[in-house]
Amino acid sequence: MSKKLTRGEFLKAGMLGLAGTLGAAASTRLVQQTPPPSDPHAMHSDHHGPHGMTMPVGEVNHESNGFNPNEILTDFDYGHISRLPGGQTLREYWVVSLNKTIEVMHGIDFPAWTFAPADPDWQNPRPRIPGPTFRATEGDRVRIHFFNGSDHPHSMHFHGIHASEMDGVPGAGPGLIDPGGEFTYEFDAFPFGLHLYHCHAFPLARHIAKGLYGAFIIDPKEGRPAVDHEFVMVMAGYDVDFDDANDFYHVNGIPFHYQINPIPIGLNKKVRIYLVNTLEFDLVNSFHLHANFFHHYPTGTSLTPRDYTDTIIQGQAERAILEFSYSYPGIYMFHAHVTEFAELGWAGHFDVRA
Amino acid sequence: MANKNFQRPRSQVQKPNQGWLTLGLFLLPIILLAGVIFLFLQTGGGLDFEAPAPVEDITVERIILTGPPESVYHIEVVVRNSGPQAVTIAQVVVNEGVRLFTMEPEGSIPRLGTASVHIDYGWVEGEAYGVTMFTTNAVAFTAEIPVAFATPESNTQNLWGFTLIGLYVGVIPIFLGIFWLPALRRLSRSWMTFLNALTAGLLIFLGVDTLVEAIEQTALVPNPFQGFGLIAIGGVGVFMLLAAISAREGNMRRSESAKRMAIAFMIALGIGLHNLGEGLAIGAAYNVGEIALGTFLVVGFIIQNITEGLGIIAPILRERPAIRQLIFLGLLGGAPAIAGAWIGGFSPSATLAVLFLGIGTGAIFEVVYEIAKLLQRDTAKRPAPMLIFAGVISGMLLLWVTGLLIK
Repeated sequence: MSKKLTRGEFLKAGMLGLAGTLGAAASTRLVQQTPPPSDPHAMHSDHHGPHGMTMPVGEVNHESNGFNPNEILTDFDYGHISRLPGGQTLREYWVVSLNKTIEVMHGIDFPAWTFAPADPDWQNPRPRIPGPTFRATEGDRVRIHFFNGSDHPHSMHFHGIHASEMDGVPGAGPGLIDPGGEFTYEFDAFPFGLHLYHCHAFPLARHIAKGLYGAFIIDPKEGRPAVDHEFVMVMAGYDVDFDDANDFYHVNGIPFHYQINPIPIGLNKKVRIYLVNTLEFDLVNSFHLHANFFHHYPTGTSLTPRDYTDTIIQGQAERAILEFSYSYPGIYMFHAHVTEFAELGWAGHFDVRA
Repeated sequence: MANKNFQRPRSQVQKPNQGWLTLGLFLLPIILLAGVIFLFLQTGGGLDFEAPAPVEDITVERIILTGPPESVYHIEVVVRNSGPQAVTIAQVVVNEGVRLFTMEPEGSIPRLGTASVHIDYGWVEGEAYGVTMFTTNAVAFTAEIPVAFATPESNTQNLWGFTLIGLYVGVIPIFLGIFWLPALRRLSRSWMTFLNALTAGLLIFLGVDTLVEAIEQTALVPNPFQGFGLIAIGGVGVFMLLAAISAREGNMRRSESAKRMAIAFMIALGIGLHNLGEGLAIGAAYNVGEIALGTFLVVGFIIQNITEGLGIIAPILRERPAIRQLIFLGLLGGAPAIAGAWIGGFSPSATLAVLFLGIGTGAIFEVVYEIAKLLQRDTAKRPAPMLIFAGVISGMLLLWVTGLLIK
């Protein structure tokens, strides 16, 4: 940029100053205090915050990534629904594990592993991080048809109550599914609440952190009270240089995404967030809502909130349902109050509008 | 025979042709080489090893911190691409926070090219920072800022500051040492021999010190510049050059007095090169805030380097050098510390430092060799091996003990 010029002018000012021309030095100082021109890459959004705010340069290419966190936010996968002879609802899903290079930060490609939702018989798989948000109602029969389209053995391990052979771990049932192999995980959705699934191949942390995780929502039979916005937020990180420490943190796949692209919500509208922590390498993650408080339903297994707060802590695989509404319009931050995560990508904005 | 008739025209008429032939024969392997390289680049030469990940390497050459009132708080990291191919910096993280940055020049950094990473960042004086640069291949390189403070600008005030540092560690102590000349002149012959041996000991210690410093600095030199190669080239080159000059001087059958004066100049030159390296190191350390040039340290440098002045005059105790010769000797030995402090303080370059330190090592050891020859001449009639042994060890111990003050 204009660094060299600045130094040159500084030197010049110094010499003029020696000659006693104080005015010239003062004017040079004014020139130097003019803020540098903004980086054109940062102009993607009107909402990138004031100068000096933690920001990445540029925005990732969602098209080549094949997914956009804006869509993941409200993308609930209810499956292909049919009825079993006994009257039980059957929800069927087709999932392919696929290797996919994802631009996780502008300019940084990460060789990710994904659970890609697909059409029946695994047609048209759509890689994304996190994997699909499966959503069923308590008591439904769930069938997940899994095909391993990658080059390493993987599995799908669901948090829930099910038989040993459906647990997706080595040594139980089919264990790990080899590349090219397939298996159908089948169980009754139980108990209601907010759960998750992830690959259970070892080394576990690496397999999960590469992108093999997602949310699994089981609604209570009677449903939850109606709200105006339902969002899913899966918190995780990327260890792009493979030193078993996260370099960037994110919600729904892309660091800083909701900071650059605030989530629009209506004034006084009821918001429900399904918040899942699938972060590896760090022990805890957290969620802090600005200028507001929320009702907190840990694991979503009760319809009565446990507490009313503005910050929660979640260990690995912990999850919770949060409910709130905003009474004032404007931009509100939400982020991990493990603040170093926030500055490395786990930060976003709500844009509350009347 | 016909052979004889044939030879004459060949040596006269065919000479130009033979020249062309020689040139052609010399060029043949080079032309073939070009062909092989071309084929290799076109086909890969049958080597089907695709790199699993691009090999990338970035060397941090300099970190410049600026702040009010001159500018907004700002960090500039000057990097050199020391890897085999172009590198692009995609994101920058300062102490656990992603930051906006700009590149100067923009875009990717070519092999061996340099670029500046500019970040507006509210650094706080005295605190530590790490600037981590992620390349497009997700390789992370970190520039460490152990102690943040405004990088000295090359203005008159700082120039004078670095000049003072050079004066304190180089010029003043050496002249103080030279002031021993009248006293030492009164010593007996064997004491003078002892002093020469002591000088050899001082120089051996300085030579080892310089070499170690050079080797340590190679860690900061970008790989393609081959720090160890620079030490070898600088060291061996200067050693042989000085030896050749000395041999030529010797062949001129100059007087013993002139020879001794020449040795004194060479000692001054060797010590000067050592002090250049010392100045570079002090300037560079000051530049990154790794050194507090407190009074204690400066006093230590003066005490240690006074011995260097002693070394310079040791061979000429029996001569009658002119004042201007003594002044020249002192400046030759001490003033390079000023130049070193300037270079190290304003534009530190590990590559240059390693080269200079290598040159210094070669020069110092060559001078040790000259003093050894001098000692041999001086003690040819009355060998004094224990005296020389005591002198060399005393010289080394002297620097070791005074070194306690500055390490």
